[in-house]
Amino acid sequence: MNKSNIISVLKKCNLDESTINTNHLLCNIQKEDLQDSIEVLLKEKVSFLTMFAIDERSLNKKYKLHLIFLILNTASLLTFKVCLDETKPSYPTISKLIPAAEWFEREIHDMFGIVAEGVDLLPLVLHGDFPHGKHFPMRKDFKLNTEIEISEVPHQFTQPHAEGMHQVAVGPIHAGIIEPGHLRFCTIGEQILDFNAQLFYTHKGIEKSAEGKTIEEGLILAEHVCGMCSYSHSTAYCQAVESLSKINIPKRATYIRTICLELERLNSHLADLSAICSASGFAIASMQAASFREKAMQITFNLTNHRFFRGLNTVGGLKRDINDDEFKSLKDELQNLKKEFKSLEKIIIDSDTLLDRLETTGELSFIQAKKFGIVGPAARASGIDIDLRRDFKYAGYHDFTPEINIETEGDALARTKVRVKDIYSIFDFIRKIIDKLPTGKIKEEIPELFSSMLEPGIGAVESAKGSLIHCLILDKKNKISRWHVRSASYMNWRGVIQATKGRNIVPDSPLVNKSFNLCYACVDR
Amino acid sequence: MLKMLNTEIIRTELSRIKKLDKNTKHALSKSLLIRHLDTGSCNAEEAELLALSNPIYDLTQFGIDFTASPRHADVLTVSGPVTRHLKIAMEKTYNAMPSPKIVIAIGDGACNGSIYEKSYACLGKVDDFLPVDIYIPGNPPTPSEILNGLLLCKELLNSKKIKKSTVKLKLCLKPNK
Repeated sequence: MNKSNIISVLKKCNLDESTINTNHLLCNIQKEDLQDSIEVLLKEKVSFLTMFAIDERSLNKKYKLHLIFLILNTASLLTFKVCLDETKPSYPTISKLIPAAEWFEREIHDMFGIVAEGVDLLPLVLHGDFPHGKHFPMRKDFKLNTEIEISEVPHQFTQPHAEGMHQVAVGPIHAGIIEPGHLRFCTIGEQILDFNAQLFYTHKGIEKSAEGKTIEEGLILAEHVCGMCSYSHSTAYCQAVESLSKINIPKRATYIRTICLELERLNSHLADLSAICSASGFAIASMQAASFREKAMQITFNLTNHRFFRGLNTVGGLKRDINDDEFKSLKDELQNLKKEFKSLEKIIIDSDTLLDRLETTGELSFIQAKKFGIVGPAARASGIDIDLRRDFKYAGYHDFTPEINIETEGDALARTKVRVKDIYSIFDFIRKIIDKLPTGKIKEEIPELFSSMLEPGIGAVESAKGSLIHCLILDKKNKISRWHVRSASYMNWRGVIQATKGRNIVPDSPLVNKSFNLCYACVDR
Repeated sequence: MLKMLNTEIIRTELSRIKKLDKNTKHALSKSLLIRHLDTGSCNAEEAELLALSNPIYDLTQFGIDFTASPRHADVLTVSGPVTRHLKIAMEKTYNAMPSPKIVIAIGDGACNGSIYEKSYACLGKVDDFLPVDIYIPGNPPTPSEILNGLLLCKELLNSKKIKKSTVKLKLCLKPNK
């Protein structure tokens, strides 16, 4: 489908498209038309990316809602902008059409008090003891350092009442070294009937605290949203600013960014493999994968001076250049790692007990994955062919297209296989880029002021866990007015919840969880 | 926002560990069990702590290990600034530990709040809420730096008289290279 098609579709549902960027279509839309136009839109090949609200009451006494879609095959974005009244802001629910939007609606209700009509909006980000309905943290008139009393209020979950049913509560502090989250299993015997998760324990209000900060300060916050996807976050943030200021970054910088993104994917996938093997009690493979991961981290450190790529990215390119000798040694080290990794793959593939444990555990069908908008390796293991590296080209992916590995079973084994295949592709892919690395400068200066008049800049990156979207709106003084982060784990958590239910028993749940291996920090922010 | 971070690699408040009686010190110095608590970190600290159990660092060779229950723990390692939603869970975990309790703050977030501003959701550094004995700053600290801190803890329990200036630790592993 090409752009003119999209425009004709949009015209059909009475939209007035305001601006047409090269790859970003922005449309103003009345809230009454929202459901109809989404219905029309969903018939085309589009994928829902993110949704967020903005408080513009000081400007025009309105709240604004942004819905962002990716138009597949054209690598362009489509934004629906909906204005909502200051008093009793509300809009008709869209989660009946796009089930993936449910958490977004609940978050917007928590943070802005904007109501989605037609659904139950349970608290999501702010826990039960927060004075809901009194304070709305993301509204502009809410001061960041407002003190709010803390009290212990039990979480509201669906309570089963039948013979033989009982609940198992886990967390928020877990036995292993993982992040906090409260899990609630509703079981009959061992079988999991229902499963719910209460997350957002590590909610630090990063988005709120970024408001009023300069672009550079925002970048540091972006790097600290999540440790595992640190570089993906900072790249997405930089891309958002770069798209606003309309500069082209030098080719060498984009290629180095691509290498680092792939290296981060390697680190993350090796950690995931280690976690999957340890959750299924397979210590040999787990330890091997963990030591490979450590080696990959040390390679990262040698290349970038930080084990989590912090302090490398800057708006407009890179802070420092990496010389060609270092890339040469990176190539050799990755070659060695690839050889060693082959032995690990053999251990995993040859182990009948491990395969038996992984097969049919935590199944997520194609239809379910599509419904909840699952992204990344988890989506590709369920047969969804989506990857922002190919579908929304950025950085060096304009010139190089990576191999997209797809499995169709949707169980823990498929997710493991996708990661193993990905790791092999990463080794080859990084080598290909290093061979064609251009010379030249690594940073483009950004203009001092580039007032964007409240249009969002969007940065999209395929992190190791899936697609990751940063939306940034600057005010007239180039300070951050609104910054929204939608991480891959935010979409995939609903997949974990779905995959844990049904045929699995309680001891399967750590394995299902690890086979997705999601971050809590970048969900909670 | 960007505070100057403490450049000292490891800062210690010697008082509590020093006050322990001889037998307790002796017992703890041979084996330390750690309970880890994430109070709102960015998960980099967790990744580095997990790396300590891999064959390259192999934490157990030093007589240190992680435990699943706070009831078995001698040391509580805390990472990240304390968030509003985790304050109660943190206090409960601390209270569930048997005395004597040693608390180690890992990472800038736990040591001084790092870049996270005090807000409606983020309450600040760990020692506002718990008595911290050893600080291991870093963004995040590397596994060898964390290991250094844990070994320092063991050393403090081991020696009879400690002067702050004489605490010198051999680097048991070259960091990263």
